[in-house]
Amino acid sequence: MSPGRIAKGLTVFALLITLHYTLRPLLGWRAPVDFLVIAVLLTAVRVRPGTAAVVGFLSGIAADALTPESFGAAALAFTAVAYLASWLKAVFFADNFALNGIFIFLGKWAADLIIVIAERRLHGLDLLQQVLLWSPLSSLSTAIAGLVLLVALRPLLDEPAVA
Amino acid sequence: MARAARSSNSRSDTVLLSVCLALSIIALILPGEQRRPVAEALRRTALAPLIRLQGAAERGRAALMQRDQAIVNRDSMTVRGMTIVSLEAENDRLRRILGLAQRLRWGFVAAEVLHGKGLGEEFTVALTAGDAAGVRRLSPVVAPEGLVGMVTGTDPQSAQAIVWSHPDFRVSAMSTDGKAFGIVRPHIAGSGASRYLLEMSNVPFRNSLPAGSLIVSSGLGGTYPRGIPIGTVMQELTTAEGWARTYLIRPAVSPGDVTSVMVLMPQRVQSGVASVWTSVAAADSAARAIAAAGDDATRRAALAELAARRALTDSMSAGDSTLQTDSAAVVSPAAPRPPLSPADTTARRRRRRTAPDSVPGTVPPRGTR
Repeated sequence: MSPGRIAKGLTVFALLITLHYTLRPLLGWRAPVDFLVIAVLLTAVRVRPGTAAVVGFLSGIAADALTPESFGAAALAFTAVAYLASWLKAVFFADNFALNGIFIFLGKWAADLIIVIAERRLHGLDLLQQVLLWSPLSSLSTAIAGLVLLVALRPLLDEPAVA
Repeated sequence: MARAARSSNSRSDTVLLSVCLALSIIALILPGEQRRPVAEALRRTALAPLIRLQGAAERGRAALMQRDQAIVNRDSMTVRGMTIVSLEAENDRLRRILGLAQRLRWGFVAAEVLHGKGLGEEFTVALTAGDAAGVRRLSPVVAPEGLVGMVTGTDPQSAQAIVWSHPDFRVSAMSTDGKAFGIVRPHIAGSGASRYLLEMSNVPFRNSLPAGSLIVSSGLGGTYPRGIPIGTVMQELTTAEGWARTYLIRPAVSPGDVTSVMVLMPQRVQSGVASVWTSVAAADSAARAIAAAGDDATRRAALAELAARRALTDSMSAGDSTLQTDSAAVVSPAAPRPPLSPADTTARRRRRRTAPDSVPGTVPPRGTR
């Protein structure tokens, strides 16, 4: 990977992280857009699975630092999702718009599932409501935001690497 | 060679994944007292700029919410401020109707007025009290300000009434001093706003009513008891009749503003309402008496001054020039004593001002106190 590509990738990643900590709390939606997942997924499909796992882990630990009660849950989820995304990147190599949307949706939903299960905070009806209602809604809004960002940041994002 | 490299990459990926997963699981199973320092260290170092960004965003969102709330509060205050005026007016009306109820004491039914908004319903109102409450047909409907109208029909729980602007409305009326009588009816000939005035016709030609005189019901005819204020005289109308005067009356009650009324029951009509609106009528009567007394005193002062002038002229023409000068200062015993020297205009004015005080039983006329 050339230094230019690395710089572009880091810029997009930093931009998405900034959006996560500024635009997300400003909007204050009940089903929020998760720019962190978008950043992890967009990075994961452009690096090797091992590197993707490290990026996912670091992003997750950063998210966990703000919720010490479930410390490690996001790290676990993002590590798994980033590694799988990087491993499956050949499927999305075509850079198909709809497939990218589904990819982000599933990635976010999977991350939420792992987090909810790992933190063991919700039970019964609340757990079902979170998993089957709020998480899909949040995944949907994240997927839509991810597609918008993909279009907007296309000059900065080159095609995903082949495994 | 390439396969070996790929295998090495795959192995390193697996190792990295394993390490990350292991660290994540360790973080998950760490006891609370150990994970908190780690999280705190992360928040203080690497995440500090991001946390500051998030704090600023949260404050921005809170400011936006507060702004919306401030706008809502301001709008609520504006609406509340607008309703205060109507509440004050309603409070005032209710206080006056309570005052009227205390003065009437008995023989009345309180009712709410339901204004009809349909065509042809501007002269009639519905009342929320009916037969069951004792309301009868032809009962007078009054408000604290005066006469509103008359009941024309009753149901068990409601009644219908005409207000004074109804073309069929008539009431026998008089001035508060009881000198001028007439019939008050709507000013149908008027157009626009003047349609909502009254006129008092058939007032004998010898009775002149000055503007501002209060007109009350006379009690003749039996429908309306004596003494209910109807309105005040605005001006005299020119009519073809040469034997009677007609006056334009400004009504005491505006039917559109009336929300609560009293319906007088037949027993109360028979016993009269002499003491209920007495203060209003008495005040008007007293004001007119004061004005008349003032006019009378002024007239008497003017007559005395005229007599003094005549006496002076007579004495000057009767004597020689020397005597004339002296006689100017001497008052003839035959002539009426002038109240003041004609030359002393300042004193004359003072005399005019103080003259009403010298009349027993009167007070100074309006405008001199």
